[in-house]
Amino acid sequence: MKPVQFSVASKLVGDAAVIYPKGYLNNLSGESLVNECGIYIGRGITKIVVNFSETDLINSIGISLILQIMEDLRNIKGTICCTNMSKFLHDTFEMLGLIQHMIVFPSESDAIKYLKAGTP
Amino acid sequence: MSTELKKALYNISALADLGQEITSENAFHEKIQAVFYVITGTFLANKGAILSYDRSSKKLDTLTKKGFTSTDLEQLAPEELMPLSKNEPCLIKDAPFLAVVGAEVLVPLWVRDQFIGALLLGGKLTAGPYTPEDLELLKIIATQIAITLNHHSLFMDLSDKLEENQRLYEEMRRIYHGTLQAFAAAIDAKDAYTQNHSHRVAKYSAAIARELGWNDHDIEGIYVAGYLHDVGKLAISNDLLNKVAPFTPEERAEIRKHSTLSHNIAVKINFPWKNVEDMVWHHHERLDGQGYPDALVREGISDGVRIITLADSFDAMTSQRPYRKKMDVQTALAELRKCLDSQFDNKIMLVLCRVLDKEIKGELPEPEILPNLDKNSDLSIISSLLEGIIVELSATQSPA
Repeated sequence: MKPVQFSVASKLVGDAAVIYPKGYLNNLSGESLVNECGIYIGRGITKIVVNFSETDLINSIGISLILQIMEDLRNIKGTICCTNMSKFLHDTFEMLGLIQHMIVFPSESDAIKYLKAGTP
Repeated sequence: MSTELKKALYNISALADLGQEITSENAFHEKIQAVFYVITGTFLANKGAILSYDRSSKKLDTLTKKGFTSTDLEQLAPEELMPLSKNEPCLIKDAPFLAVVGAEVLVPLWVRDQFIGALLLGGKLTAGPYTPEDLELLKIIATQIAITLNHHSLFMDLSDKLEENQRLYEEMRRIYHGTLQAFAAAIDAKDAYTQNHSHRVAKYSAAIARELGWNDHDIEGIYVAGYLHDVGKLAISNDLLNKVAPFTPEERAEIRKHSTLSHNIAVKINFPWKNVEDMVWHHHERLDGQGYPDALVREGISDGVRIITLADSFDAMTSQRPYRKKMDVQTALAELRKCLDSQFDNKIMLVLCRVLDKEIKGELPEPEILPNLDKNSDLSIISSLLEGIIVELSATQSPA
């Protein structure tokens, strides 16, 4: 089966950036995800929502890239929310202990609502 | 499924990721970056670096890093890492002399008896310690990275050696051609009337061979043969070479020895090109068997010999000689044409005419023949003569 070329889209919703990774997060092309978040962080955005609805699978390289985004946000006391995660993704993040360092929502709108309100 | 089992599966999957990246066709630095991501993603390390040992400078070069500053990494001295166990992860808290700000684990990378570099990791995102299982996994990963770095280092050494060999080969080639030119100059210096004749025969022959579609190696071979075709004249007396009056039969026989003498000299040189000796030896043979020294006939005369023979005669005709004035190009072409089939080969003559015609029309980037011809020649007349010969000789050639 031909792998889907990894790509990233994004939009600004209020003071939060919503990032849409698409494809298998398993190689250097995933660096575009870190770069996309970096652009928003560079503009002063401290709230990032990563909508994983089009990314079902991840490997150690992808984890490293997610880790990089978490560290970049932590350095500016920012917040990362992850939404629409597949069971595989959720289980992997949970097993590694990443879940404790992010806020997980079932949907993007839930995350936006939370970020607007400032409380879960 | 228990968390331990899930973690074990994740680790196995990480090793598979590592193998995939190491064997990928990516460029070396991309490969190392991907391998580094595998490591930091496996251990959730907030800092890390892969360092390569430069044997010539005896320093560690940073291939990739995260979290550490260059100053942090400069604290690592290769001589302090070498005594550590090969490819064994070492907890920094157990080896305070390795203290690097923020580092928790260091692995000295080795392949057999070669120190290759080091892998350095900081603490985990989860703030947990590196477990014995983590260190076991890290040892396996480190061994693979060491092999990858070593392969790259060997490849670079080979590339450097190849580059150096190519440089030496080009240098030798330059010296070789310089020596040949010196030989040719010595021949031409003996005979005031044939100045640069060897050089021109070399150029004309190479131009004809190129038009015939010869490969670069063989073109270089015929160029060398052109340079050396008269080297045997070094052994012929100056008085005889420069004699203005017609030769006696004995003198002609003496002069004719030069092609065999040329062969005897050339055969002592181990040329990288085939048939140079043959081209030098037989450049006075004729298709009708009336040539010398072996009176070879048609099939016995190679294309290379046929080319040199024609180039030699064409240059002799268009150059001043002690016993006659130089011919203009039209007269020389007419003379060569008269001797086709008996002395010269139709196909080679056709190619010579094509080359000259192309040079006159500016169709060749570097003309080899035209610059050596009489500057006062009427090129339009020569061109129309050449076109006539080309049409005539093309009709005699069997279709390819």
